Amino acid sequence: MNSKRRNGPRTIAALLFFVIAQIGLQVGLAERAANTAVPVQPQTVARLTTSNNQPIQVNGLSAATGASIVSGATLETGAGQSATVNLGPLGTVEISSSTRVVLTFDDTGNFKALVMFGCVKIDARKNATGEIATDQGSQGKTNPASGGDLELRYQPGTAPAMGQGVCTAPGAPVPPGGGGTSGGLFGLGVPATIAIVGAGTAAGLTPLFFQDNPSGPSN
Amino acid sequence: MLLRSVVALLAVAFCLLAMQAAGRFGFARLLGKYAVATNSIPAADQAIALAPADAEVHRARARVMNRLKNPAEARKSFEVASSLRYRDDYLWLELGSTRDELGDAPAALAAFEQAVRWAPHYAHTLWQRGNLKLRMGRYDEAFADLRAAAASKKTLMPSLIDMTWGLTRGNPNTAEQLLQINNDSDRLAFAKFLARKGRGKECLEQLRLIATPLSEENRRAMVQQLIAAKAFHDAFALWRTDSTAKSPVIENGGFEEPVELPGTDQGFGWYIVGKPEPKIVRDGSEKLSGRSSLLLGFNGEWKAPADTILQRIVVEPQRRYRISFGVRTKELVTGAPPALVVTDASSEQRLGQSQPFPAPTNNWQTMSFEFDTAPATQAIVLAFTRVEGPCNPCPIFGEFWVDDFLIEDVTTVNPQH
Repeated sequence: MNSKRRNGPRTIAALLFFVIAQIGLQVGLAERAANTAVPVQPQTVARLTTSNNQPIQVNGLSAATGASIVSGATLETGAGQSATVNLGPLGTVEISSSTRVVLTFDDTGNFKALVMFGCVKIDARKNATGEIATDQGSQGKTNPASGGDLELRYQPGTAPAMGQGVCTAPGAPVPPGGGGTSGGLFGLGVPATIAIVGAGTAAGLTPLFFQDNPSGPSN
Repeated sequence: MLLRSVVALLAVAFCLLAMQAAGRFGFARLLGKYAVATNSIPAADQAIALAPADAEVHRARARVMNRLKNPAEARKSFEVASSLRYRDDYLWLELGSTRDELGDAPAALAAFEQAVRWAPHYAHTLWQRGNLKLRMGRYDEAFADLRAAAASKKTLMPSLIDMTWGLTRGNPNTAEQLLQINNDSDRLAFAKFLARKGRGKECLEQLRLIATPLSEENRRAMVQQLIAAKAFHDAFALWRTDSTAKSPVIENGGFEEPVELPGTDQGFGWYIVGKPEPKIVRDGSEKLSGRSSLLLGFNGEWKAPADTILQRIVVEPQRRYRISFGVRTKELVTGAPPALVVTDASSEQRLGQSQPFPAPTNNWQTMSFEFDTAPATQAIVLAFTRVEGPCNPCPIFGEFWVDDFLIEDVTTVNPQH
């Protein structure tokens, strides 16, 4: 009995030591984890949205809706692809099909779309300055006091075309969201759709009209 | 009998009800697909009216709304859809993406958290959440997600490296810290990326850390990328298999080893341009020394002498070099005789040229010429040229052999800058 009494405090001390050591270990590990902070300067990171979630090329790599775009990225759309880059407080850049553009932006409210070829529309918010340029130099800047948009169509070897609607004019690449279909079910066209839906409905209703099956086993 | 009839009638009624329900459900799905294909809101609304408890038709309406640039309505439909089918990670992703589009990052994150919850080991959920956290400035958490996504789906690794590079503004050390590379496959991807960016030193450092031997295909690809980025010294360091080989050196200068097939640019060593105009063969019957030399035979045209056979040679800037070689001619008839030319591999500036080869027939003789490299010269290209003559066009007939190419640094011997 006495020896049990003597062992009691020892056991409690051992348990306490174990618990404290556990806590210490956890605190130590937590401190180490906190020290692995990533050395990245806070900066604007844009968001990509692609039409129908089709991937486009960002710096030569495939990227789709939700991808992050950092300053200096080269974005390229193929035929039938288009994309929008959301620069948050700076504005947006709409990239039509068959376009290559280099996008740069900073944290002081400036962004620039250098159009290598194709069609681009920038929309700068108030207090931001959007610029659109080609290899022939700057083609225009928005006014930070009012914001605004600029639209440019360019093919190397030709004069850049600027102005409202140049990207939606006949012969221009397809702008974001403008990828139409031929209409009808799955793009089959309205007449074909009516035929398919009609045939399906007729087939579904057939048992109601011909309940007395002439080739059934009861005959 | 009556009981049987009642049971039969009930069964028939039940079947009819089930048929009607299935028909409504199927038709609602069809309408939903039709709505998405044609961007039709009425069709989407009709689909929902037919099957309001079906998540798929709400998703269809949301997609239509997104296409029609009405993300606020799309959000509502996605929210209904995800509440109806809350275990669908793709629905949560679409909801999160739409909320993100609306600028509601916290709500988007909540949706992405649900997506990760229901598909915790898949790349697509972690990738989307990581990207959102990155834009929210939560870099630690973002990279934890992005790395996990890339580990789960290897094809995402190049995109992660590229994004990290942009984020760190081209700082390889910070990028490496963020990427936390811990396997050969990822390290090779990073090394390839660095080669593409012309960061030869850093590329070689990464390659040294790879435990498995580098495949010949990868080595060639990176040598070409480094050359394209004009990182010639690092490209040469990666190309040479013998680490004791020091530059400057003319590889296979005596043509004792086979020359690569036309069109195969290995980076260094002799490179026969695809479909050369003259006949080019190693010839064992004629040589200044060793076992063979190189024969060039002509039968009329030689419009692009620089695009015949050439070799890149790594050199130092602002040095003086001497190139010597043996040449033999046989019945060489032309108004513009051949010679050798050295150009800067980056700027293509002409640095030096040999005397024209002796014509028409001359036995083996050793020729040499000297040139100075420019302050920015890292490598030169040794190629053929033709000494301008009065003729135009200028046909060429006959043949010549070259052998025993040698390059020496003669800066201290003959420092004529």
